[in-house]
This record gives sequence, C-alpha cells and structure tokens, in this order.
Amino acid sequence: MKKNNPGIPRRKVLLAGLHGAGLFFLSGCESIFNRLHQNGKFLSVLESVEGPNRFLLRLLTRRNKLAQEFSEKDISRYFKPNGNPPPLTTEYIIDAMSGWPFWRIEVSGLVKKPAQFSLEDLKSMPARTQITRHDCVEGWSAIGKWKGVPLKAISERVQPDPAARYVVFYCMDTDQERNHYYESIDLYDALHPQTILAYEMNDRPLPIEHGAPLRLRVETQLGYKMAKYIRSIDFVATVKEIGLGKGGYWEDRGYEWYAGI
Amino acid sequence: MISLVYRHNRVIRLTHWVNALALLILFMSGLQIFNAYPHLHWGHKAEPEEAFFSIYATNEDGIIRGYTEFYGWRAETTGFLGVQNTEMGPFPRAFPSWLTIPGYFWLAGGRRWHFFFAWVFVLNGLLYLFYNFANGHLQKFLLTPRDVPKIFPMVLYYLRLRREPPQGGEYNPLQKTAYTGALFLLTPLIILSGLAMSPQMNVAFNWLPAVFGGRQSARSFHFFFTFLFALFTFGHVFMVAMTGFLNNMRSIVTGWYAEKAEPLAVAEAEPAAARTEPTPDAQESRGVKLDSVNKKESPENEEK
Repeated sequence: MKKNNPGIPRRKVLLAGLHGAGLFFLSGCESIFNRLHQNGKFLSVLESVEGPNRFLLRLLTRRNKLAQEFSEKDISRYFKPNGNPPPLTTEYIIDAMSGWPFWRIEVSGLVKKPAQFSLEDLKSMPARTQITRHDCVEGWSAIGKWKGVPLKAISERVQPDPAARYVVFYCMDTDQERNHYYESIDLYDALHPQTILAYEMNDRPLPIEHGAPLRLRVETQLGYKMAKYIRSIDFVATVKEIGLGKGGYWEDRGYEWYAGI
Repeated sequence: MISLVYRHNRVIRLTHWVNALALLILFMSGLQIFNAYPHLHWGHKAEPEEAFFSIYATNEDGIIRGYTEFYGWRAETTGFLGVQNTEMGPFPRAFPSWLTIPGYFWLAGGRRWHFFFAWVFVLNGLLYLFYNFANGHLQKFLLTPRDVPKIFPMVLYYLRLRREPPQGGEYNPLQKTAYTGALFLLTPLIILSGLAMSPQMNVAFNWLPAVFGGRQSARSFHFFFTFLFALFTFGHVFMVAMTGFLNNMRSIVTGWYAEKAEPLAVAEAEPAAARTEPTPDAQESRGVKLDSVNKKESPENEEK
C-alpha cells in the first residue's frame, strides 16, 4: 500500500507535523492546566460539583440501604494500613500493652448528655459485625471484617441537639509537622446502619496500624474519612472553625469533604 | 468550481469542541488519578501480588529504571512510564507529568478536574444526542442490522482490495460502526465503570460494581475504555487529516466546507451535519457531486 501511492510523502509530512503539533500542544496544555489549577477562583469552579454530586448520589440511594457485604472467604490477605504512623507515645504504648485500661472516648459538643466511654463500655453495647470493602482514594480496595458499636447507638445515648449537623472525630495520630488527624461526617452518614466505631478487625482486637483502640467505619465513603486512633467525638453545627475549616485533615489539603465518589 | 456548503451548524460545532476539550482533560486527569496507584486488578479487591498490570520504578545500585508489566511480560520503559527524566534527574512516576493534570503529582487536584469535566462530558453528550435525535441526523449514522453485512466489504475497500465502496447513505458502514460504538457502547460503559468505583454508588446499587466483576475490575475496565476512546479519537483525527485537513478544520470551526474536493474526500469525509441553512447553490453542487460519485463507483447503491 505504501509503495505505489504518490500521496504518501505529503501525508507523511502532514502526520509528522500533526505529531509535532500534538507534543507541542500537550506541553502547552501542561503549563496552562498548572496555572489554572493554581488559580483559586478556577479551582473553586472545579470544586463546585462536590455538592451536586453528594446530593445526586444520595438521591439515588434508598434510605438505610446497605453497602455490599462479603463473605469470610473474600477477606483480604493484605490490608494496607495507610496514613500517619501510629501515635507511639509512652502513654499510648503502655495503654495498648495492658488492654486499654486508661483510654476513654469523650463524646460531647451540641448534645444533651455528654458522655465518656471506656473500651469495655463500648464492648458491652450491642455490636454490629460486617465484612465490607474498603476503597482508598488512591484506587485500591481491600476487604475486611469489622466489629463495633453503631454510631447511631452512641448518638442515641448522648442525644444531640437539633442544631448539631456534623460529627467530628479527633484523633491521636499526627503527621510529621505534628498536625493531628481529624475528620467529620454529617448526620446522614453518621446514622447509617453500617457506620460503626470498630474495635475488632478480622475477629481480633483492632491492630495498632489500623487505628487501635477505636476507628470509624463509614461504608458510604472513601478510606480517608474513616478516622483511626479516635480520642474524642464532637457534635457540631459547623466545621468551619476546626483545623483549616474544610472538615478534615485531607480536606484541608484539597481533598473532597464528600468522599462518596 | 469551488462552492461552500454549510456543513456543521453551531450546536454541532460547539458540542464537538466541548467534547474534545472534556475528553482531553478527562484523559489527562484520569492518568493523574491512576498514578496514585499504578496497578490494575480483577475482582473486588487489590491483593498486591495479584496485579495483572503495573507501572513501577526500581532502584538497582543507584540506577533508577522504569518498568511496565502486563501478566508477567515486562518491558523497560524508563523515560516514559515508571521513571521520567527531569531536569533534576530520573524521577519515579507512572505516567509522565506532561500527560497528567496537574502536571505534578497531586491526586486531589486530578480528582477535582476529573469530576468537573465528567459533568461537562455527560451534559454536553446529552445535548449532542438529543439535538441530533430531534433533527433526524442521528438516524443517519446509527448502525442498523442492514449495515452489518457491508462492514467487511468496506474494510476491503479501505485496504484497496475492492474497487467500489458498499456505501448506501451519507455515512459508510465503518463510520456507522465507529460512531455508533463510541456513542452507544463505549460512552455508557466508561460512565458506568467510573460510577462503579464510587462508594456511595456501591451502597445505592450493589449490582453496579458486580456487573463489571467487582470494583477493581471496574477500575481496570475504566482504564481500558479510556484507551479505546483514545483509539477512536486517533482514528477520527487521522481520517480528518487524510481527507483534506484544512477544509475539514474549516468546516468544524466555521461550519463551511468546500465541496470542490478529491473523490476520496466525499467517501471518507467527516459526516455532514444537519445543514439547516443550505444555499440553493450548495445544494445543487452537492447533489451533482454525489450523483457523479454514485454513477462512477456504486451505481447500485443510490441514496434513496
């Protein structure tokens, strides 16, 4: 086909030109996209779809519908413990080695009956066990078995005010600059039947790298919402005054607050 | 001799270019997201040793190399995949910065672009679809069972193994296959495989990740569909270049297309969009042109 066609040289030149133009176009795009990305106004336009995404996805979801649950044989052999290293302070290590006799979780904020719970208190409450898929924002998934207290039960115990709209989780772990991890979810997800404060993973006490003694499971959202090493829980009306005001550690660093997508 | 016909109206031109921009941004921001975990798996979960596709970097005695691996078949791709050569030396990165948005490693940023332009892609696509359906243009390039037997003869014609194209209408059977496939198969599949990765979707519709074989499968399919889109776009641009690049570009930018072209251009040219304001002149000259082509090359297949 190539040999006898007089049109080929012209085509070759044209294609080479297109190829060159393509590369030039892409490298031009790179700097345009980078500049646009660093423009706060443009970024806020990109971010504007977060609200509609949350609204629409929840509109499609029947109330109290459950995330897919799996069977024992689906449990991952390897479950990547992502995020900050464990908060290896002396107190934490001593408490962990002796079965958490000192650890208490404080639940307060806009609630009628603020309360403290020890790990034993939580274990004596009705528990939920679920085998669910954990989806990391990075793209991988892992399946684990979790046992814990539904957050709804805690909420019924402390009785939030009508003004309370979000539940904030303060954590013991920090990044290298000693910023504490924290997260927040709204009541829609907080009261979901699969939203639990987990103290067991795969039939064993929650391992240190997975957030011992207590971590959050929110099966409607991505992994970074599921705070580990929880030390206190706050019911609040707004998250604007916490951290950098975006509702979580990763949210303060550009990630979506609504991570159901 | 040269007469201009009004080929692509405003809506077609606008949706075409919005779509081109959205696809480019979705492609580049998608590769940014992929770079956060440059491995692909089948099934629900991602056991590290079970990845069937990986892009990664190794450090052997201080020499950094990039590799791409597919079912145990490994190729060194230093400089492009796995390791990018930068001014500060080799840098481990799955897809190079010039293929990603933003052009540096920033997953959160990639997600922001991807989810915004996903909406642009979907809404623009719906506008295109409904507009073309309403004015009857869609039906002209929709592949029907009657076109299927003509696909192979058309391949033979393109390969110069057959003298006459088996053309029946404004679009040839291969064009119909490509457009119908991209619009009604690839587009829904890429949207659904994307949505299947959403945890909230997994709650709303447990079956959605399952139809792809699990969330990790959905992610792998989403990745492959991307490259089918890229292939379609490449073929499309190739045809545009082969059939009078400047004339084609003029028609998709300004709407006007010069009818005085090589016979090749008539057979392979980009589809003529609805001509809402055809001038009598243009109408006439096109009619003449088509007649002469039909007479010469396929008298049995006259347009009804």
